[in-house]
Amino acid sequence: MHELYNFVSGPLAWVAGAFFVLGSIYRLVSMYILAKRKDGSSLEYMSLHYSLRSIIRWLIPFSTMGWKADPLMTVTTFAFHICFIAVAVFLSGHVVVWNTAFGFDMWSLPTQAGDIISFVVIAACAIFALRRFMLPHVKNVTKPKDWFALTLVVLPFLTGVLAYHQMGPSLLMTTLHILSGELLLALIPFTRLSHALFTVFTRAYMGSEFGAVRHTRDW
Amino acid sequence: MHKKKLTRTLAPLAAIIAVMLIYMAPMAFSQEDMVVVPTSDFNAPERPAAMFKHDAHNELAGLEDCVVCHHGKTDAGLIDLENSSDGESCSSCHPVKPENGATPLMRAYHLQCTTCHADALKGPVACGECHKK
Ligand code: HEC
Ligand code: HEC
Ligand code: HEC
Ligand code: HEC
Repeated sequence: MHELYNFVSGPLAWVAGAFFVLGSIYRLVSMYILAKRKDGSSLEYMSLHYSLRSIIRWLIPFSTMGWKADPLMTVTTFAFHICFIAVAVFLSGHVVVWNTAFGFDMWSLPTQAGDIISFVVIAACAIFALRRFMLPHVKNVTKPKDWFALTLVVLPFLTGVLAYHQMGPSLLMTTLHILSGELLLALIPFTRLSHALFTVFTRAYMGSEFGAVRHTRDW
Repeated sequence: MHKKKLTRTLAPLAAIIAVMLIYMAPMAFSQEDMVVVPTSDFNAPERPAAMFKHDAHNELAGLEDCVVCHHGKTDAGLIDLENSSDGESCSSCHPVKPENGATPLMRAYHLQCTTCHADALKGPVACGECHKK
């Protein structure tokens, strides 16, 4: 068990990090090459002004038609993404790990607050799942890869909550938690979760196309 | 009259006992009875104190040399593995928020305790194993 823990918390963490960084670069570069080949002229029209206009607009809840159409989904999406990042980077337990491993001394969420927003993430995942089960128009376009991505995301949170509340054997739960977090990180570039890399550019493209070419808004 | 004499003899006696008690008080919490690593240096501890039965632990782990944990400080400000600092708290050289670039207290504990366990393939390494609720 110690051997596995040492491997998972040592070398494997670097492997997962490398997959994420190099994988992201690979996906972004190959997407750029593809875009240039297939739709080269649109690159000429990319405009920083209209890109930022669109990105900022879509970062504000309920400020676009898309966000107004489905309030439950909008609230869930914003809550999910904000809490996800906050837990991943600023959870007090994680900040202790950054401190032990790298000597960083950074701000962390109060332990109680971190616990609560971990449950918010799990609840948001449950809403995403129910939606895919229950709404016919979503169910019809749901593919196995969507379920796979959702599972990847929820696992580190479920195991994390169990490990923190010391349910089940601590060493095993902690090992599973780290393992599922590494799997998530490593597979972000290669699954539906790659929207984390591409959304900024899709928005920039839409913003430029609507702003600079069609002279209208994309929200 | 008798009463005054009594107080005169008892007062110094009481003073001596009081001094002895104050002097012995720390012994009552000496390493023999230590069951957790004290958290008193942290002004608002967020986790339950780490399990650590000082003497039983060191016997179980076969640690006879105190300096393994209680290292000293050389004149150059480096770890001194010759002279033990037992009796001195870790925080006297590792404050919670050091200003002189020393290893902070929490990191000092985590590095010392966890590194040994991970290398020995024995003893707690996950948060919940030390900070038991
Ligand atoms: C595995 C590491 C370890 C070893 C080995 C070890 N100690 Fe300690 N000892 C500690 C820790 C941790 C504390 C708590 C320090 C603090 O509160 O700052 C401590 C505290 C003490 C204290 C102070 C008790 C108090 O209440 O503050 C004394 C005295 C002490 N140790 C003596 C010894 C002696 C003598 C030996 C060798 C026979 C020894 N220790 C070996 C880890 C160790
Ligand atoms: C007499 C002063 C002194 C005492 C007491 C002391 N240390 Fe240290 N310690 C040092 C010095 C000096 C260093 C080297 C500089 C640094 O990292 O702060 C050091 C380094 C360390 C390191 C290595 C840090 C690294 O980056 O590798 C650890 C771990 C550590 N101490 C833990 C402890 C623990 C735990 C205790 C109490 C059981 C303790 N120290 C008590 C002086 C002390
Ligand atoms: C130099 C090595 C070493 C250091 C330093 C060390 N330990 Fe250990 N510890 C061990 C070993 C070896 C075992 C396993 C003993 C066994 O099960 O045979 C162990 C076991 C334990 C256990 C489980 C057994 C028990 O005593 O209840 C706890 C809890 C523990 N250590 C806490 C700590 C804490 C807290 C620190 C830091 C203050 C620490 N240890 C520092 C070597 C070390
Ligand atoms: C080998 C035992 C050990 C392990 C494993 C361990 N700690 Fe600690 N930790 C300690 C000791 C010893 C202290 C110092 C005093 C105390 O808490 O008893 C400490 C202190 C802390 C503190 C500062 C005091 C407080 O309560 O605010 C935090 C926070 C903390 N640990 C969090 C963690 C987290 C998170 C993990 C897992 C990533 C972890 N620890 C793993 C032994 C351990």
